[in-house]
Amino acid sequence: MSKTYEQINERIRSGKAVVYTAEEVIDLVREKGADKAAEEVDVVTTGTFGAMCSSGAFVNFGHASPAIRMTDIRLNDVQVDGGLAAVDTYIGATATVPGQKAGYGGAHVIEDLIAHKKIHLHASGPGTDCYVRKEIDTWITIDDINDAYLYNPRNCYQNYGVATNTSDRTIYTYMGKLMPRMKNASYSSAGQLSPLLNDPHLETIGMGTKIFLGGGEGYVTWPGTQYKTNVEEVNGVPVGGSRTLALIGDMRQMDAKFIRGLDITGYGVSMAVGVGIPIPVLNKDIIQRCAISDEEIFSDMVDYSQPVDRPAMARYSYAQLRTGKVEYNGKTIRTSSLSSYSGARKVASILKDWIEHKEFTLNQPVMTFPKDVKLNKLQERGC
Amino acid sequence: MDKKFKIEFDEANVQDSVSYILVTEFDLKPNVLKAEISGDGSGVMILALEGEEAKLEAAEKRLKEAGFNVSITKRIERDEDLCWDCGACVSICPVFCFSHDKDTMKVMLDNSKCIACSSCVNACSVHALSLHL
Ligand code: SF4
Ligand code: SF4
Repeated sequence: MSKTYEQINERIRSGKAVVYTAEEVIDLVREKGADKAAEEVDVVTTGTFGAMCSSGAFVNFGHASPAIRMTDIRLNDVQVDGGLAAVDTYIGATATVPGQKAGYGGAHVIEDLIAHKKIHLHASGPGTDCYVRKEIDTWITIDDINDAYLYNPRNCYQNYGVATNTSDRTIYTYMGKLMPRMKNASYSSAGQLSPLLNDPHLETIGMGTKIFLGGGEGYVTWPGTQYKTNVEEVNGVPVGGSRTLALIGDMRQMDAKFIRGLDITGYGVSMAVGVGIPIPVLNKDIIQRCAISDEEIFSDMVDYSQPVDRPAMARYSYAQLRTGKVEYNGKTIRTSSLSSYSGARKVASILKDWIEHKEFTLNQPVMTFPKDVKLNKLQERGC
Repeated sequence: MDKKFKIEFDEANVQDSVSYILVTEFDLKPNVLKAEISGDGSGVMILALEGEEAKLEAAEKRLKEAGFNVSITKRIERDEDLCWDCGACVSICPVFCFSHDKDTMKVMLDNSKCIACSSCVNACSVHALSLHL
């Protein structure tokens, strides 16, 4: 039994589509089997809400009179990109106030824009014959600038490692605060709800897939940076970081609850992004893969106190990690999640709601993503 | 109401007499959250005390008069509007103040056990946690 995108969209438009979240579908497939479940269900919704540093926003401020070509641009003192056209910028999520390592940064500017807060713009430029002005100081909001769209080069990491610290001092990493002598470990995946763990070989997700992004509608645009496929798989899903997605979405549709600026002690600024991807149940294999549960998804623990070469120390399932503790060589290590599971669940259920209420249909990808990609290392060469 | 007392003592005024005074004289319910006693008999302990406000104040005065160094300790507070339920704080707290609710998976805070160590404060990426009296 198989369905097409068009048949599923027809059912959505007529208000008859049956939608399950990636969590709800687990029990359904266990009870009824994949064949039956595939007949019954049209769409499975996934969700994730975690730190995604490779995020940012394109903005066009509009021209002042007289006009300026901005090359040094500050938004609430945060230095943003001055390398685009006169009044365009890219606000990188990890951008900071010059001279500061962390605190308020690009991600917070983006969150504040989405929240319709006033942002202080200070910019200067060289002054040219066509752009005579050299400086401007004003306040903007998302409602009075031109364009504002998120463009995230790498989101939705397909699985990620578990971090611990074997050294004698507390270390502060992008994987959070890691206490000495393996007192704790952190992990960061929505596991059974995570988009790319439910469609592990990207059969239905590709360029043009319509998604939930930050509370609004967005699209998958490209494979994310650092996309790779040569990762060991267990139960059909990779055991570490693997595929990623580049995403785009209109910030004016978004909700600041799902786009949060993060100030990670000792590391810097990052952005928590809520992303949900619908998976069309085209056949029983697809729903079988969506039925994967935290017991079947594994991740390797590595030592973040090692500056280079971090061999896998142990492998745990997300079900084990979510109990709050794991065992390692007879020692109990407490665990922390760094991505919000309740947030991921909210994303998946909002997306489900949209589809059930005929507000969201599915797009068939216009291009699928590569099947065989390895990552390059940065070479240090003389010339 | 309940308050948290941090009580420093030395060998001249041993630990158990504190609880005795609090229970018999002021009808307070003490709960030892943390006690560190060194070899010479001196130490520090953190007590959560439950009872009437007037009695809590009187007890504080009485212990000070008895020569104990008493201070009211802070406890962690969370700005619920800021918390995004990430869970980073969960494995940090030495006395397990944070936990995931099994059903909602939200991160719950029980600050009655808090010993004001401040360890969780800089583990929170949205500055939702702070220490208050
Ligand atoms: S201050 Fe210390 S004891 Fe209190 S909640 Fe935070 S980590 Fe726990
Ligand atoms: S670390 Fe902060 S945001 Fe995360 S769950 Fe704890 S209090 Fe909430």
